[in-house]
Amino acid sequence: MFKLFSNVWNQFREYLVLVSLVIISLSLLTQNNNPQVQKVRALAFGSFATVTSVFYDLFNITQLKNENKVLRRLNAEMMLQLSMLREYGILNRELKGMLGFKDTTSLPIIPATIVSKSISITQNTITINVGNKEGIKPGMPVLSYRGFVGIIQTCSDNFSIARTLKNVDLKLTVKNEKKRLNGIMKWDGEKLVIVDVPRTYDFDIGDRIVTSEISSIIPVPIPVGIVSKIEEDKTGLLNLVHIKPFEEVLSAENVFILMMVENREKNNLELNFYNRR
Amino acid sequence: MKLKYFIPLLVFIPVVLIQLTVIPLISIQEVVPNLLLITVVYFSISNGQIFGTVTGASYGLLFDFISGNLVGSNMLSKSLAGFIAGYFSGETRREKYLYTYSFTLVVLISALIDAMIISFFSVIDFNTNFLQALFNHALLPSIYTSIVSILVVVIPYKRAFD
Repeated sequence: MFKLFSNVWNQFREYLVLVSLVIISLSLLTQNNNPQVQKVRALAFGSFATVTSVFYDLFNITQLKNENKVLRRLNAEMMLQLSMLREYGILNRELKGMLGFKDTTSLPIIPATIVSKSISITQNTITINVGNKEGIKPGMPVLSYRGFVGIIQTCSDNFSIARTLKNVDLKLTVKNEKKRLNGIMKWDGEKLVIVDVPRTYDFDIGDRIVTSEISSIIPVPIPVGIVSKIEEDKTGLLNLVHIKPFEEVLSAENVFILMMVENREKNNLELNFYNRR
Repeated sequence: MKLKYFIPLLVFIPVVLIQLTVIPLISIQEVVPNLLLITVVYFSISNGQIFGTVTGASYGLLFDFISGNLVGSNMLSKSLAGFIAGYFSGETRREKYLYTYSFTLVVLISALIDAMIISFFSVIDFNTNFLQALFNHALLPSIYTSIVSILVVVIPYKRAFD
């Protein structure tokens, strides 16, 4: 028996090793949401991101000068907008008071720096230097001053990984800001598209796209991009709306995390509604 | 224990650091060269098929964990890429494929296998034009990777890990 195994091993060992590794990797693929796997992942990228953050800074010093220039200009523009918004804010408070509306809460955001980027055509992710200790949780939106960047996927104590817009696993409910039309936006590996849009929907090139309040992940409107092209899908019954994002992940250095996770109360209510017998 | 088994692990850290920090700076339309794959192919040709397969699996798994990709996807693709590259290993073939421009061809073949498997997990759906997806997601990154792999042939450090 041993001799038989020995013969088989000697003749086919390369294939046996390959088959074993393929089986292990396929079983790991099915265990991606397993808490143990998530824990190992958090530990691995948390430890590695500490090293990466030092290394990444070295290569980005040259870019900081240009970024500062852009930020100074933006700061001046923002200052002008802010003074206008203050005026509107005062007016808004007065009007709300007159109408007896509840006041809206301010949105807590915390700043973070990107310490590494895993760039591929299909699965772009970024690692940022804030984690559980700062109160970051999976599901929180990541944005920059230009617009939406991605969603936190995993957290360790000091670092987090976020799926960016250009990740095929991130699907987002968005809406046309002007026309108030909702749709599902995803990265198809080549372009950012709103899929399955009925042809009766009135999307125009140049329309601003923001995240939709229908989304249980991002309940506030965050700018995503503008409509760059509209084309028929293969069936000819629906449209594909191409989006040009406001934020290019490749050039992003500093981001903010919106300290907001999906509304459980709202989800439970909706689930109870659907589960009603 | 032979030192050669530890060398891939030591090499992994600087390679993945460069992959995650420097390589994004030279990306062309989200197409980036895959340094991990070049390393896997190098070890596979220099140390044999089993060594290459196991190195590919280890590199893939570690990369999945630290980059946030689907755990197991890179492990599967890089195991197969290492296995394929192993066919170009052997006493007589090593000199031919490791130290000449044939190395870039082996990298191209392995990168195609790697990228096609990754694409399979990521972008294939009913709306995808398979040939176009293959071109954009597999061929372009593979060509870029094989171009970068010329450095392995050109830079004279090539016998350091043998």
